Amino acid sequence: MLTVERLQEYGADTKTGLSRCAGNEALYLRLVGITIQELSSGALGEALEAGDLDKAYFIAHKLKGGVNNMALTPIADPLCELTELLRNKTPGDYNALYAKITAKTNELAAL
Amino acid sequence: MNAKNSFSISEERRRILLVEDDYVNQEMLKATLGDVYDIVIAETGEEALEIIQNQHETLSIVLLDLNLPGIQGTDVLSRIKNAPQYSRLPVIVMTSDNEAEVECLKLGAIDFIPKPYPASKVILARILRTIELSEDRETLRLTERDQLTGLYNKEFFYHYAAQFDLYHKEAPTDAIVFDVNHFHTYNDRYGKASGDELLKKIANKALSYLNEVGGIVCRSVADTFMMYCIHTDNYEELLARLSACLDEDSISGNRVRLRMGVYVNADKNVDIERRFDRAKMAADTARDHLNAPIGFFDHSMREAEILEEQLIDGFHTALREKQFVVYYQLKFDVKQDVPVLSSAEALVRWKHPTLGLVSPGVFIPLFEKNGLIQELDNYVWSQVASQIKDWKENLNITLPVSVNVSRINLYDPKLTDKLLNITEMNGLTTKNLLLEITESAYTEKTDQIITTVKNLRKLGFYIEMDDFGCGYSSLSMLIDMPIDALKLDIQFIRSAFKEQKDTRLLEAMIGLAKSFEVPTIAEGVETAEQYAELKAMGCNIIQGYYFSRPLPKEEFEKLIINELKKEEHVC
Repeated sequence: MLTVERLQEYGADTKTGLSRCAGNEALYLRLVGITIQELSSGALGEALEAGDLDKAYFIAHKLKGGVNNMALTPIADPLCELTELLRNKTPGDYNALYAKITAKTNELAAL
Repeated sequence: MNAKNSFSISEERRRILLVEDDYVNQEMLKATLGDVYDIVIAETGEEALEIIQNQHETLSIVLLDLNLPGIQGTDVLSRIKNAPQYSRLPVIVMTSDNEAEVECLKLGAIDFIPKPYPASKVILARILRTIELSEDRETLRLTERDQLTGLYNKEFFYHYAAQFDLYHKEAPTDAIVFDVNHFHTYNDRYGKASGDELLKKIANKALSYLNEVGGIVCRSVADTFMMYCIHTDNYEELLARLSACLDEDSISGNRVRLRMGVYVNADKNVDIERRFDRAKMAADTARDHLNAPIGFFDHSMREAEILEEQLIDGFHTALREKQFVVYYQLKFDVKQDVPVLSSAEALVRWKHPTLGLVSPGVFIPLFEKNGLIQELDNYVWSQVASQIKDWKENLNITLPVSVNVSRINLYDPKLTDKLLNITEMNGLTTKNLLLEITESAYTEKTDQIITTVKNLRKLGFYIEMDDFGCGYSSLSMLIDMPIDALKLDIQFIRSAFKEQKDTRLLEAMIGLAKSFEVPTIAEGVETAEQYAELKAMGCNIIQGYYFSRPLPKEEFEKLIINELKKEEHVC
């Protein structure tokens, strides 16, 4: 079951995340849950696979917003990197970054 | 126990429009703000604009995410800020893009909230402060502006004019007052709505001028505008610019005109309100001068104004201390070979403690303007009645004396009672006090004045129409007016006898009065020649330096004793 303690052990900056939710733990955990769902939807991976970088950027940017606000640091780092690459359409190893994101998402989902 | 208003705007929950498509963000902000504010959510720019269009009056703030599906956040922002009806709505932009912040502030965003969000309490405090500031600004806008024209109102204008000085210390500035000639007539003829439109057009012309030269403008009252601006040399051009809209507006071909008063290079050491008093004084000199619609302040105006203030301030003390002194001038009946003393005219002088002897030519017009003349008239009547009584008792002389009845007194419903009271108190008959009513008084509210004058005559008062021929004359008045004598205006007599003598009009006037069986009185007669000619023309009564100048009562008494002795001798 997702708890603040487990999130903290996972590496999330729960203090900051909670401060953005007016200290409301239940809300914070609910929103983290929703963020996990969005990350797990696979939409970003599909867009990358299809080579639709504009769509991929839009999705990554949205996900980044949620992840950053929830202070899910382990996912935030590769996701920010990927978003910046997509923003500028810089050639790079999108798949490797996406794999990192997926791994960290799965880790989070398993909590 | 604290008193509490039943309604306090500060306790009303404000409404926030949150433009955000991300559910997580929506929920976070709802958790942050939901306890304090009502939150309306729009997930797209289109939805946001629709809500703003329909509900802008009840919204306190817009929180705008920039990254929206459909219309982008920056587009939403510029549409809000470019629509005058919504532009007052404060918009806080929410973005993770540092570069977008500057652009958004330029577009009119009041603030931004970075993403990821700061702590809830930071967001809450920022929004609270923004709403407070924006409401204060709106209150100020409504308070400082004239609702019709959108210009400053007078009080704020003075405040901003002082600020203008701070930033333009070295620049010469002009204080200008302008208004529409006979604006009330325009309103009467074309309706208030047209009048309002006219004022708005003038306001816009003034603003467009000031945008070029620098300065501020307000509508101080009704159709009067005040402008404080960088000095110009060409006031005709300025007036033409301001008046340009009036030509388009001349509905019936009657041109609407502005008049303007300018205090050129206004002295910045003088209080700002005084500077505009001076401009107003200058504007007053331009009233009705269609060919000279611009008046300029000069210091003689200020001196005249100071004198007027001094006279007004000293008026009541002067009454109490009897500084107003009545002088008397003889009037002679000239029908016979030898002139016979018939009556006198009371003329008031002011022995001012610091200004010396002040001429009635200075203070009478002033007191006529501000209504103090009513009290002065009343004072003179009492003084004169008491003097007639005194002569009657001590010198055994009954000499009727004429006094002035100013226009304002003719509208006093107690006039008849006052005059009767004064005569009775002094044991006089109504025949002893002759009443001089200026001709110009008859030109206004004629019916009311005719009734009053008829009543006075019924009671036995003798009415002399004063200043006849001074410019208001309507000959037909002679038919309707109940008068006992017609007193020719002194200027009229002077001009008849000036260097290029032309007495034809004078003669015609006297002839006309004669045909109406109204005796004529000529004042200001100075020479034997004038006396002889007026007598030959058939003038009945003559007054002037030819016989005697106006004298204080002691000297006057000696004079009448002598005159009466002479007359006895003749008899």
